[in-house]
Order: sequence, then C-alpha cells, then structure tokens
Amino acid sequence: MQILSRIEETALSIWFRESGAAFFSTLTLHSLAMAIVVGINFAIAFRLMGWVPQFALSPYSRFYQIHWIGVIVIFLSGAGLLLAYPAKALTNPIFYLKLIALTIGLIIAAWIQHRLDRNIITEGEHQKFKLIAMASVILWIITITAGRFLAYTHSVLLASRFF
Amino acid sequence: MIELLSGFSSRTGIYDFMNSPWGWPTLESIHFLGLCMLIGSVGVFDLRMLGVGQGIAYKDLHKLVKFGVVGYLLNVTTGTMFLTTSPDQYIYNPAFQTKMLFMLLAGLNMLWFYATTSAQVKATKATASLLNRAKVIAAVSLLCWSVIIICGRLITYFRPLYHWCFWC
Repeated sequence: MQILSRIEETALSIWFRESGAAFFSTLTLHSLAMAIVVGINFAIAFRLMGWVPQFALSPYSRFYQIHWIGVIVIFLSGAGLLLAYPAKALTNPIFYLKLIALTIGLIIAAWIQHRLDRNIITEGEHQKFKLIAMASVILWIITITAGRFLAYTHSVLLASRFF
Repeated sequence: MIELLSGFSSRTGIYDFMNSPWGWPTLESIHFLGLCMLIGSVGVFDLRMLGVGQGIAYKDLHKLVKFGVVGYLLNVTTGTMFLTTSPDQYIYNPAFQTKMLFMLLAGLNMLWFYATTSAQVKATKATASLLNRAKVIAAVSLLCWSVIIICGRLITYFRPLYHWCFWC
C-alpha cells in the first residue's frame, strides 16, 4: 500500500488524476481502442463460428494491423489510468480477471492471425476453430464486463488516504 | 417529458432493476458489447470500403452487418433503460444531445448508402476500388461512430461544458 501511495504522489500520477482533459482523453482512447479490438475479434469469431456465410479468411488478416494498433493504445491508455488510480485497480480482484481475460483473448487473436497469414485453416479443423472462436467471444465479454464493473467494485480509491 | 420517461421506467420495473446493486454496470456492459458488435460489423465494412482487407468481397463482408443490427438493437434497448431511469441526467446533458445528433447523422448516412451506393458496392469485385461516394459514406460513418463513443464517455464521466458546449 505504501508503494501505491508513493506512485500516487508522483507528478505524472497527479497530472493524470487531476487534469480533467488528461484523464478524460485517456479514458476515451481506452474505450475507442477496446471497441475496435473487440469488434474486429467479434467479426472474425462470427465468421469462424459459421454465423455468417463463408468468405475468404486470409485477406481478413489485414484487419489485424488495425487490431494491434488498438491493442497498443489499450495498454498505453490502460497504463495511464492505472497510474492515476493504482490502488483502485490493484486492490480489486476484478482488475486481474480483466487482465487475464484480455491476455488470453490476445493470445488467441495472435494464434488465429498466424493461421490466417499462412492460410493454414483446413476444412478438418473447422470444429476446433469454432470452439476457439467461441472461447474468444466469451473472453472478450468477460474483459468488457470486468472493465465496466471495475468502476463500481473498488474498495480503495487512493492508497495515500491511509497514510 | 421527464415525468413521462420516469413514469414509464417506474411502471415497467426498469427503475427498480437499474437501481439494484448490479443493474447499472450490467446494462453498461451490454451497451458496450452492442457497440463492439456495431464496430465489428459496420465499422469493419466501412474500413473495407476505405480499402482495408482487399480481397474480401464487399457482398460477403456485408453479411456481417446483421450483427451490427443486433448490436444496435441492444444499444437502443439499454440506452432507453438508462434514459428513462435518470431522464434529467440525459435530456439536459449536451454530451447526450451531441450523441443523439451523431446517431441521427449516422442513420441518415446509412439511408444515403442504401439508397444510392449499396447495390454498386455489392456488385464491385473484391480487388476493385470503389466510387469516391462510397468512401465518403464509409468515412462519415466511422467518424459518426467515433463521436458517439466519445460522447458516451462524456455523459458518464463528467460534463466539462466550459470546454466545448457552445450552446450551454
């Protein structure tokens, strides 16, 4: 808790927390990037699950360039939000749930992209891909839900209040 | 107006649900998931019209749009629940007013697309480029949805009227 309190007292943390524009733009960028990343993952998952008629998958990997830019924005903006209120997130188990779901979701996205780039999704693997796509959708739902619940479930807002 | 919306919320049980411990964050999660479905379908189709993902047939990718419609319906339903639960937090909120304006623009842009451009786009080969009009429609759509997301954040986070609201 003392370490978190020291982080909260750094100039950068105070700036993120107290400058309305900095916090608001970081939060907005985080939302925009999440919508892009989750949206692209949803689209590919719906195609892999067969919910939309078959279309060529390999050109779809080009959308992943935008996806990974979105991921960088998610991590940078997420780091900014974490820096502003470190105790609020790090003392809340839901934050770790979000982080785990996000990480596994991204590992699945990288794995699917790897297969699309090499055009190695075969007919025999369709069942396997359906399950993986379903897991991806569930993980993104957990990520979004955990992210929203973070704002409502924290028990500590600022560690510095304890010292 | 406020009384009408509040009365609807009370009579239908929306108010009680929204004020239960997890009502609001649950609905916010569904609202954002609906938005992700919209971005994953309409947004992806817009990006395709702007030249991303060459090789995917426009006609095939357009089939994703039905998920955008589902996402939109989720958003309208959950959005109505937010609005009727706390109408005074929304009706007079410039961020909400701006969001509604851009939703209207996005809707008009969509009507323009289906009235003038949709058939040509669907008939275009996957490797061919589109008319400039289609690209303009795609860019306007992406802009509208981005502003809608930004305004959505503004509604719930804070309302820095002095920064941007010239009609307040």
